[in-house]
Amino acid sequence: MSHQYTADYDAYAGKSAETRHLKPGELSTGTTIMAVQFDGGVVLCADSRVSTGSYVANRASDKIAQLHDHIWCCRSGSAADTQALTDYVRHFLSQLAVETGRLPEVKVAAHLMRRLCYQNKDNLMAGVIVGGWDPVCGGTVYNIPVGGACIPMPFALGGSGSTYIYGLVDAEYRENMTKDEALALVRKAVAHAMARDGSSGGIIRTLVATEEGNVRDYVSGNMLPYGPAGW
Amino acid sequence: MASSGSGYDLSSSTFSPDGRIFQIEYAAKAVENAGTALGLRCADGVVLAVEKPLVNRMLVARTTGGYTRSTSTRASRSRVSSATAGRSLTGRGRRRAITRRHHGTKIPPATLSSRISAYVHYFTLHGALRPFGASTLVAAYDTGTKRHSLHMIEPSGVCYEYYGAAAGRGRQPARTEMEKLVVNPSRVPEGGEMISVSEGVRQLAKIIHSLHDDAKDKPFELEMSWLCEGSGWKHEGVPREIIAGAVEWAKKEIENEGENDEEGDDDEDDEMEE
Amino acid sequence: MSLSLQSGGAASRALAPPSTARAIADQGNQMTTRPITTGTSVLGMKYRGGVMLAADTLVSYGSLAKYKNARRLLSINSRTLIGAGGEYSDLQSIADLLRGNALNDRCTADSLYEEDNNEECAGEVWSYLRAVMYQRRNRMNPLWNDVVVAGFRQNPDGTTTDSPFLGVVDKIGTAYEDDVLATGFGAYIALPLMREKYRPDMEEGEARALLEDCLRILFYRDCRALNRVQIAKVTMDGGVLVSEPYELDTYWDFKGFVTNKGEMGTDGGW
Repeated sequence: MSHQYTADYDAYAGKSAETRHLKPGELSTGTTIMAVQFDGGVVLCADSRVSTGSYVANRASDKIAQLHDHIWCCRSGSAADTQALTDYVRHFLSQLAVETGRLPEVKVAAHLMRRLCYQNKDNLMAGVIVGGWDPVCGGTVYNIPVGGACIPMPFALGGSGSTYIYGLVDAEYRENMTKDEALALVRKAVAHAMARDGSSGGIIRTLVATEEGNVRDYVSGNMLPYGPAGW
Repeated sequence: MASSGSGYDLSSSTFSPDGRIFQIEYAAKAVENAGTALGLRCADGVVLAVEKPLVNRMLVARTTGGYTRSTSTRASRSRVSSATAGRSLTGRGRRRAITRRHHGTKIPPATLSSRISAYVHYFTLHGALRPFGASTLVAAYDTGTKRHSLHMIEPSGVCYEYYGAAAGRGRQPARTEMEKLVVNPSRVPEGGEMISVSEGVRQLAKIIHSLHDDAKDKPFELEMSWLCEGSGWKHEGVPREIIAGAVEWAKKEIENEGENDEEGDDDEDDEMEE
Repeated sequence: MSLSLQSGGAASRALAPPSTARAIADQGNQMTTRPITTGTSVLGMKYRGGVMLAADTLVSYGSLAKYKNARRLLSINSRTLIGAGGEYSDLQSIADLLRGNALNDRCTADSLYEEDNNEECAGEVWSYLRAVMYQRRNRMNPLWNDVVVAGFRQNPDGTTTDSPFLGVVDKIGTAYEDDVLATGFGAYIALPLMREKYRPDMEEGEARALLEDCLRILFYRDCRALNRVQIAKVTMDGGVLVSEPYELDTYWDFKGFVTNKGEMGTDGGW
């Protein structure tokens, strides 16, 4: 038994610091994600790289997942964990919408996500941004980092790439931005993160959620506002 | 009553040959014999009023427990009849409301009411269960739509929304009286306006008092609560001095009407003669 | 790789034994996570006629100053306040728990009138929280917070006494009361300052000024502190009041700060 333990431990220690927290073979969306509120809605944005260690498992993934008609989330952390979480929240939200006969609030989606993340914090690796539009509060963004806190914010950043662009976003963000300004900001910021974070890359996907509906767009990997190359 | 079911009334899982479930009707009967409970949806809030009969003249007033309770800060309910059944029900409603609070918002009134009604209805389906001998009035404010509403759930599990709802002994005459008030937004007379909560308190006090026969009926306490703009859409007891004022006004009004009625009768007689 | 867990971010899974079988077997009985999203110090002080709490509004993610507008002072009922540092998600769940209890009390109260009912007083909230925190730590799954509870004690009949209450419960369930309290970094830096200036008969303005001074110094000397702060108080008849976050002015004009020290021929300073 002790022999086996040691053998396993050796196999485990062979992993790099980057992948040590993952289960064997688990994929991780080492990521840059972002969401910005504007008058009447939110903009969500994500890169498209999914990696295992330093291998790019998927270079055009979609990390923006729909939770309800006007409510979306950006996923970061373990791909498996965040997929399971979004599936649960989607399920509960649709039940709730049927029961109450009205559109669910973004707040409710965020609280459901928070509860799942908090109560299972020992077994999850998930940092999620929930954003969307609802008839009560309009455009709303909640950040739910690893550990399951839940914090409403005018804009949110997440994923490994976010650390490289806090300064940029702090400098460029203003209150009461228009939809187009918000879109330009998230594209620029995420492009810069992708240029410096090895675990972020590929294309930029954006989503605008408003009362009128959801508009998807993407910036191809060779048409980015900045990078991947640079100084 | 004892033999009215002729054997078909022993279980709520048994239909009588003419298609009735006696157990539910008996439960409704229990409510019909209890103190009156009224709810009125006014322009700026909802008022609840309960007549709490003091079953024994030696009972100390104010110790019989509240008939009106909060299920959360923005919803409340009044019950009629069987104290134990009502307590069990309010507990249930509260737990429902609190579960929902965990989702970060308040439960919508219609959802809370339909959950309670589903629960009450469940108790009419099993042979091993006894239907609730209680009607429940639910006054609530919807933080999402900014609207307030009044629902009533009966022992059968049926649940509707009302402008004015009544249960208990005096329900029939009370409904007749409430119909005279302007509580239905689609039937506001020209130049008139919907009744306000402060007027609602007075009217409900008047109805409860006018239905009460001091000579015949047991003494009672009047419990009133509201959930209105003035209370910040929180459910709270109507301040005691306001209730006292309303009762004083109601008694005077009843007295005056008594006199007017006599005069009125005379007038009618005159007309008849013509 | 995963997001960004440079400092303190890894969930406990990273610490779990490596063998899959072992990991599964141990999952029911794991050491809890390290704190991930953290707040820093909370200060508390009694004064004439009330109790005051103070804290900044920063929640850090490791060394990243991630949330700069997070409220760490919260009211529990109309006469009790808490303030907490440590894991922010745990603070949110403590607040949910205590506010849930308060709501439950309200809904099961005998009377419709608030003045007839008695809400939990600060001393009761504190004792309850002590039990919760101690039990959680004994299950090796602590709530990773130091919580300060402020308010008033109550008379046997439920009315509020005129003696203010200030107590703290830490992540292992240690609990004590005092006239001045500080948690986290504040216990080292602010507490001595507060003890030096404290008088039981301080006016509200004096108390607030002293707490603001302490917060300012914490901002200077605590890497996880911020100059955006909140102040909250419980008073005898005014109930609970929590301020909106506001910013403190800071001072950088000391002569020694302005003089350059790196020139040739100087010792270079430090």
